[in-house]
Amino acid sequence: MRPAGLSREERFEAEALPHLKALYGTAYRMTRNAQDAEDLVQETFLRAYRAFDGYTSGTNIRAWLHTILYRVRTDAFRRAGRSPRTVELDGDGPAVAAPQDALASGGEDLVRALDGLPESFRVAVVLRDVQELTYEEIARVLGVPIGTVMSRIHRGRALMRAALGGRKP
Amino acid sequence: MSCNPERVTAYVDGALDAAHCPELEAHLAACPECRAQVEAERELRARLKALPAPAPAPELEKRVRASLRPRRSAASWLLPLAAGLVALLAWARGATPFVAWELSRDHDHCFSRRHLPAEVWSSDPARIAEWLEGRGTSVPVIPEAAGGLELVGARYCGLPDRRVAHLYYTNGEHRLSLFLVPGPVRDTSRETRPRGNFVRLLRVGGTTVGLVSEEEESVEAFRRALSTTLAWDLGRVDRPAR
Repeated sequence: MRPAGLSREERFEAEALPHLKALYGTAYRMTRNAQDAEDLVQETFLRAYRAFDGYTSGTNIRAWLHTILYRVRTDAFRRAGRSPRTVELDGDGPAVAAPQDALASGGEDLVRALDGLPESFRVAVVLRDVQELTYEEIARVLGVPIGTVMSRIHRGRALMRAALGGRKP
Repeated sequence: MSCNPERVTAYVDGALDAAHCPELEAHLAACPECRAQVEAERELRARLKALPAPAPAPELEKRVRASLRPRRSAASWLLPLAAGLVALLAWARGATPFVAWELSRDHDHCFSRRHLPAEVWSSDPARIAEWLEGRGTSVPVIPEAAGGLELVGARYCGLPDRRVAHLYYTNGEHRLSLFLVPGPVRDTSRETRPRGNFVRLLRVGGTTVGLVSEEEESVEAFRRALSTTLAWDLGRVDRPAR
């Protein structure tokens, strides 16, 4: 699968850089902030480049890059003394997010519902519904069992449906 | 089976293992609430998928590429530098001053011995040529004598970068070296005087010939002899007089 004759740098640029926009999309949903998202993506690519020898050519590189993105994100939280994984569900509805997305009309409520999710649910929903990763891939990205992935996606979607005016989760 | 909303989510995502699918599908057929969940989650998924992706600033890709570059720099400038050095060495190797200096040094080295270190002794150019050609050197027509100096013998000498055939000419007092130089030599028309010797590099029939002597007249005599070797060689062929 590995293209012959390409240097490590060229392979990285050819294989990883096309996913920059996708990575930014996830990073933006994680941080809800363009500047933080850009910093996160830049650090992710730097680390991915260093770790590129550990990537198995031919496997889902987008999933691999998301694993690193998530690690960079959690490392930043660890340095700041908190974790996105400590959030647990209770009966309260999602918090109201700042309307920072310039979206076509009709998307604002959806973005607000998504942004209002606790980050651990938000990331699971984005990886599944936006990035289309499988449960197995998401489990690897987040470093949790598949059952936890299923639970987070379920609860994230339920919270969003509630926020969008559907029935209660 | 009672309602299991998490399994319904996995079912929507095609992540429910095959063993549980028939059971869940049977449950869905009987449970409007779970059917509604399937519909609602599918609709939510479709809306999220259709959400315009936040676009990064165009500078982000440039910044990312730039941040990788310091790590690439060693390879990206060392490689051309090494290639440049190799090219420079190859170029220097073929440079006339370099070759001329090496030939001049070898001339001094051989003739400074008490006895000439020839490997083959002969005053017959054909004999010398045969000996050299038997060792893989292509030999142009070489003079038997010129300017009063006569062929006495030959050997191979090792220069730093190549092996040359070294032919000795002498009359007891003066001496001249005729070298057959393989490999690249540029600008053979130039005259140089390295180490106090007169050196002349010529192209003779596809071979580079180096002439080295302390006497300018000797070099000039051999240059003339070589430039007329073709005629000289034909002249040796006995032709019926017309």
